[in-house]
Amino acid sequence: MRRTNWLAALLIAPLLLLILGSFLVPVGLTLFRAVADREVAVALPDTRAVLAGWDGQGLPPEVAFAAVARELAAVLEARRIGDVAQRMNFERTGLRTLLLRTARAGDRLRAPYAESLVALDARWGQRDAWLMLQRAGGPFTSLYLLRAMDFTRGPDGAVSQVAIEERLFQTLFLRTLWVSLLVTAICVLLAYPVAYTIARLRAPWSSVALTLVLIPFWSSVLVRTTAWFVLLQREGPVNGALVGLGLLDAPAQILGTRLAVVLALVHVLLPFAILPMHSVMTRLDATYLRAAASLGANGVQRFLRVWLPLSLPGVAAGGAMVFLLAVGMYTAPALVGGDRDQMVTWFIANFMTRDVNWGMAAALSAYLLAMSGAVIALTRILTGGTVQAGARA
Amino acid sequence: MMRRLLAPFVALALGLCAVPALARDLTIVAGGGALQDHMRRTLFATFPGGPVVDTAYDYNVGPIRAMVAAGNVTWDVVMVEAPDLVRGCEDGIFERIDWSVVDRGKFMPGGATTCGAGAIGWGVSVFYDEARHPNGPSNFVEFFDTARFPGRRSMRRGARMTLEIALMGDGVAPADVYKVLATPQGQQRAFAALDRLRPHVTFWTGGQQPIELVNSGEVAYAVGFVGRVANGIRAGARYNLRWSTLLYAYDSWAVVRGSPNAAQGMRLIEHITSPAPLLELTRLWPINPVTQAVAENPDVRARNPLMMSNHTAGGLEIDTEFWLEHGPDLEQRFASWLNR
Repeated sequence: MRRTNWLAALLIAPLLLLILGSFLVPVGLTLFRAVADREVAVALPDTRAVLAGWDGQGLPPEVAFAAVARELAAVLEARRIGDVAQRMNFERTGLRTLLLRTARAGDRLRAPYAESLVALDARWGQRDAWLMLQRAGGPFTSLYLLRAMDFTRGPDGAVSQVAIEERLFQTLFLRTLWVSLLVTAICVLLAYPVAYTIARLRAPWSSVALTLVLIPFWSSVLVRTTAWFVLLQREGPVNGALVGLGLLDAPAQILGTRLAVVLALVHVLLPFAILPMHSVMTRLDATYLRAAASLGANGVQRFLRVWLPLSLPGVAAGGAMVFLLAVGMYTAPALVGGDRDQMVTWFIANFMTRDVNWGMAAALSAYLLAMSGAVIALTRILTGGTVQAGARA
Repeated sequence: MMRRLLAPFVALALGLCAVPALARDLTIVAGGGALQDHMRRTLFATFPGGPVVDTAYDYNVGPIRAMVAAGNVTWDVVMVEAPDLVRGCEDGIFERIDWSVVDRGKFMPGGATTCGAGAIGWGVSVFYDEARHPNGPSNFVEFFDTARFPGRRSMRRGARMTLEIALMGDGVAPADVYKVLATPQGQQRAFAALDRLRPHVTFWTGGQQPIELVNSGEVAYAVGFVGRVANGIRAGARYNLRWSTLLYAYDSWAVVRGSPNAAQGMRLIEHITSPAPLLELTRLWPINPVTQAVAENPDVRARNPLMMSNHTAGGLEIDTEFWLEHGPDLEQRFASWLNR
């Protein structure tokens, strides 16, 4: 018995390693970046050590001034100053200039450094800059997780909301959640009758219908979204048809609206709802329906009390799939949506590739993952664990 | 279904296992498009030091950083924007230019830095279709004057350039723009100006959009890339390009740190910034070279009246250091403003 277990473990080992190596470890490392704070420790180790022993009252001792002057010049020379400059500038705009100015002054600075640094830039004579440097000593920080929820922390450590004109991410998360739920609901409602019809079709026609669902499923998301961009233009076919039919007097602005985003997302994601539902429904045992009929149930009762409960696992699986994909979409909203239709994922991509602020990208991803996980868990509780059954089906 | 979900991960895992090719051709990366097609023929193919492979990217430096961090550098020479060059140089993402190989003296002032050799300039300014609007705004104050010049406007969705324009639209002199924008009051003023214009603005994200918006008549006046507008004019479009509203910057060539072809890369940079191949390129495309002999060549200037180099005198050069310092803050504030 034990031997077969061991053998089974060996057989699934490649899959396990694959999931571990290509999924769990990268995701874990990415999430770790949301709290990691290594820039100061790596670039300015001596300064960090001196500041660790500082009580935060008044100004730090002369050794701290000397260490920061020496180490900044050294990291500039070694061309490693960018990371720490960006880290501190993200903490407070302006610190980048302070660090670079000090680093460039290099050899021109003379002891006592507590005087020459303050003469170079008055901010060295204020406690705030030193407190922020001390707090950035790591190894962990809440900076990114706070900022990703529109909170910030003053030099004294007090957490507060960021200024109203800089608040952004709470709105984005609520919007992402709302749009994803809306798209999921529409997809489920549209997919159910389609899956039902396909499941009830006879042999050749069911394959034909399924192929019609699969063809868009196989074409690129970008292509399908771009198609919507063309269709929905002011002078595009949709507006042309609406005006031609007399439903509109003048072409409407559809592109750049929430409607366009929902439309494109529903179209792109609909097959992900149809296919799991269809796969569950084709496996439903028709004898249950016949048994219900023989016990006197009419059509509505047969559907509501037999078919619907038995097909729910497919609904839950399809809904979960659509929701998760909708949360992660950012090409479609960016392409057909307007200024107020940007999603969290767009900013994650932006922080990743454009700003190269991976801490912020990781923090936003962590919240997005938590949000999606919470919704899926909630669905499982509400549907009584049918998602698991759906996954088995 | 499961297999479909796993497929990308399998592909990824296989990709991770693959050993990077040790000897590869010298690879140069720029912004793509028609310009790169012309550069391939005139600049890259004429490199005497061997074959050059070129590929396109979207000016996002994240992948370059990942490449350097992973120690698997597959790009050698890259065209980068000024802020990315400065930060990348401080971070050691780019090699120091070997000024014994590249001739430092041939560049315009500021065109030769620690890690970058000046490549080409680019800019944005106001343009509109003269056939539809014979009299359009000639400066940013008029661009922001929706009473005198009714109609929709289009600007770039982002803080950089848009906030400078907002201040100039509110009457700030170009020379004072960055001084004002560095203060909280100045930032307030820029956003207040944008608030007033917002009901009339369509923001664009891709460089071709303002051209299409103006062509279709969806907007009356747009701020767009001068290169694309100039090409439109050369192709027969009746745009009025207002050079007095120019904001401009220069891109540079840089060598990715850890490139196994770094030495070759330096020689390639020397070649593609030298006057002879660049002169060939100016016959095909109205580029704005940073190589002084070409930028100031009277023949080139006369041949390309729409070359940006002819018009930078009255323009505003985008301040790299300003955006490195204030960029993260102002971009978030702009996104927040946009989403309100």
